[in-house]
Amino acid sequence: MARKQTEVSRAMLLTWFTLAGLIFLFAPQTLTNKFQFTFTRIFRWPLSIGRNFTLSARTQQPLTDIISRRESQYQNHIANLREELLQERQKVKKLSGLYNRYVWEGVKFVLADVITVTIDKLSGKLIINRGQIDGLAKGQFVLGDNSIIGTISEVSSRTAQVKLITDSTSKIAVKIAGVGRVMQGNGNTAKVPLLPIRYKVKTGDVVLADKKPGFLDAPVIAGKVAQCKRDDENPSLWDITVKPVCDIERLKDVAVIIMNPQE
Amino acid sequence: MRWFRFAVFICLVAVLQASLVDTIAVTNIKPDLLLILLVFFAIYCSTTEAIITSFTIGFAADIIVVGSAMGPRIISFGLVGTALAYLHRIITIRKMPYQSLAIFITGFLAGALVYLLSLLKGQPATSNIFISLFGIPLYSSVVGPFLFLPSAWWMRIKKRKM
Repeated sequence: MARKQTEVSRAMLLTWFTLAGLIFLFAPQTLTNKFQFTFTRIFRWPLSIGRNFTLSARTQQPLTDIISRRESQYQNHIANLREELLQERQKVKKLSGLYNRYVWEGVKFVLADVITVTIDKLSGKLIINRGQIDGLAKGQFVLGDNSIIGTISEVSSRTAQVKLITDSTSKIAVKIAGVGRVMQGNGNTAKVPLLPIRYKVKTGDVVLADKKPGFLDAPVIAGKVAQCKRDDENPSLWDITVKPVCDIERLKDVAVIIMNPQE
Repeated sequence: MRWFRFAVFICLVAVLQASLVDTIAVTNIKPDLLLILLVFFAIYCSTTEAIITSFTIGFAADIIVVGSAMGPRIISFGLVGTALAYLHRIITIRKMPYQSLAIFITGFLAGALVYLLSLLKGQPATSNIFISLFGIPLYSSVVGPFLFLPSAWWMRIKKRKM
């Protein structure tokens, strides 16, 4: 009798737990993400330490590496300034002397530490230690080493998830060879489809994240063309592969662009 | 079962899995510490305790994969862990090679179930199915039995008497 009771309780236990698992499975992801955010928020400190340790263990950064990274940061900064200058000149031409504010005037940059990084062939995501209370919202652009690395995809009160430009579900408007296109993530790289070969594109060309009212007022460098060849299926189009201009896996901090801060 | 010790242990291992395990990754293949624990508790605990621990470990495994859907690991770890616990009532898994084999098969089955449940949810479960089904279980099965001893010490479980 006692044995039968135990069996029943085991079966009930299994049923209830499976039911709980199914509820989690079919619950909206925005709801279940809160558990994951809470975990990263509670264990933010050990996770950051662990990540820093992993980074330092994986690669002993030589001095040349650090210098080349700094150089790349400056190059990104110069590319951004060039684009800003170009845009400002165009505006000055258009408005011919009318008042116009400087593009980054009043913009708030929220610095955030990277808690965890998930980069594989399908997804590319970061968890950062800033959230709603710091003014973060969905869709805001995120800078790493002066280049756009992604956008905010989920926000909780104190943490946020950044969807990288290389994430397979990421789609952002970009400027390449002077024309606007949509760049799609492709794992470790990104692709710019549907660009006719009449546009001159070559390896090393800068790809800029295009303006998006309320989120980005000036184009900012997002990557460089890593490979450019004719599309196998449609030879009148380019098959362009774009690589981010910063080593996202090694990033320790990022900056979130808030174009219209509330304060 | 000392449940407080278990809770602390799972939190610690989940944090380790989410951060430090990458240091011992070999070509993107890293051991799954939670899978090893799943097998450990299924082998060394009573069936009821094994059911509870399996689902809890599944929850921990889901919570550390930020940005992915929750649920597939809870269900798969729970069901596979429970099946292993029932199997252990018939077959004793004491020797290290058998424990390794148990970890590999459990990892393979749990990985396959996670993949199917993620498809059901309409989400890509993993970037490389072969790594999930063979690489991670294989690495875990090599490392796993060596972690049983410290786990048993922490949980105050006497291995030989079981």
